[in-house]
Amino acid sequence: MSCNTSVIRVQASSVEQTQRVPVHLMPCEIEHNGTARVSQYLTATTKDCKHEKTVSFRGRGLRGQEISCPQGYTGLVLKEINKLGSDQEDRTVRVSSVFDKLTYWNLETPPNSDDTVVMAMDWPELAEAIHGPVED
Amino acid sequence: STDSVIDTQKHDCDPAFVRLRNPCTDAASLYMLSSGDVELFEVKAFEEDFHSWFVGQTVQRDGRLLFVTPMDPLYLILPCLIKSGIEGKFQPVDQVVMDEEFPACSRLLSCSRSLASLHHVAEEKEVGTLKFHRYSQEKTMNWLKKKVERTVITLKKRNICVGQGVKSTTYVRVKPQSDYQEEDYLRYAHGLISEYISEDLSKALLRHLELPELTSPKETEPPSKKRKLSDKPVEAGEDYTKFNSADFVRKPSKKMTAAQKSLAKVDKTGMKPMSSFFSPKVKAEK
Repeated sequence: MSCNTSVIRVQASSVEQTQRVPVHLMPCEIEHNGTARVSQYLTATTKDCKHEKTVSFRGRGLRGQEISCPQGYTGLVLKEINKLGSDQEDRTVRVSSVFDKLTYWNLETPPNSDDTVVMAMDWPELAEAIHGPVED
Repeated sequence: STDSVIDTQKHDCDPAFVRLRNPCTDAASLYMLSSGDVELFEVKAFEEDFHSWFVGQTVQRDGRLLFVTPMDPLYLILPCLIKSGIEGKFQPVDQVVMDEEFPACSRLLSCSRSLASLHHVAEEKEVGTLKFHRYSQEKTMNWLKKKVERTVITLKKRNICVGQGVKSTTYVRVKPQSDYQEEDYLRYAHGLISEYISEDLSKALLRHLELPELTSPKETEPPSKKRKLSDKPVEAGEDYTKFNSADFVRKPSKKMTAAQKSLAKVDKTGMKPMSSFFSPKVKAEK
């Protein structure tokens, strides 16, 4: 059950010193949370063409590209501290790393502007239209 | 360095995710209040099936991305005003903007934009130093119409597909922008704004925009073929422990910030006709 009174605090004070990390959005669900040798098995074998990166991952050809976070936005990776405690209690997350660009990968398909994640990056601007102040 | 997430020097507390009543669904959704409650943010999840993250040298199974974007607090204040406005009396807003189920509701009045923009949706009366407000449907319609107009401008500028045809084929941007009619833009923008207001207001707005109601648009577009991308407000049932997915934080102008996140979901349920792109979905909650 969720409790509408609980809040999740974000410890933001540490962001300035937080390390920047490479971030990849993979086209598969990986049923694991934890360490992985990303640079050894993914980054090291990635080929960079003009607007496209290619790599073989578990025998499948992936094609990806790097995209920037929307202007004015920074990517944050949040981690919960102190997972103990019940749902009723307030919780806290901290910023564990930051990124301002990410690489997303498609299975086989070349990256293009109709990729959903690319379109999602339009959201902040659309949100500004919906939520920005209107004139009298 | 990330300029900003939240300038904690300025306020003595951190920003926080809070639950508030979603004005469209009437259920709980996740929002964020900046430190000091100065600014409100919407939290929208973006997610596709079968995605995971690599973050540095780690794998993160949860492939969602949360977008945390500034939100107009008036959308959340409006239902309170409407509710109290039934009696037709002028009332002090701090007695109106509250919700027993969602205690954070009254904090909305601390947002710097709230009091300054109440006149868009309510008549104001000053008695001595006290201010009283009464909901005005007419003002609200004009305010929402301006919202729609702003949104249309951005849709055009960003070249976002708005036509019916777009959704019923695939989500490829084939149609040149010039082929869209003004009505396509209006309807699409109306759909986007409708995610922040009640169904009654949405219908009233449609009339105010002089757009006829579409009878059963669902039949004209097979749901399976709708554009796949949709994000939704994060609902109360979500497990927030999954927060260590990637997030976005807005860097506001030096002073403060917003945090932003995203997680997302592909909409498989019946969405409202126009809301294909970024529509919250009514999720069958666990």
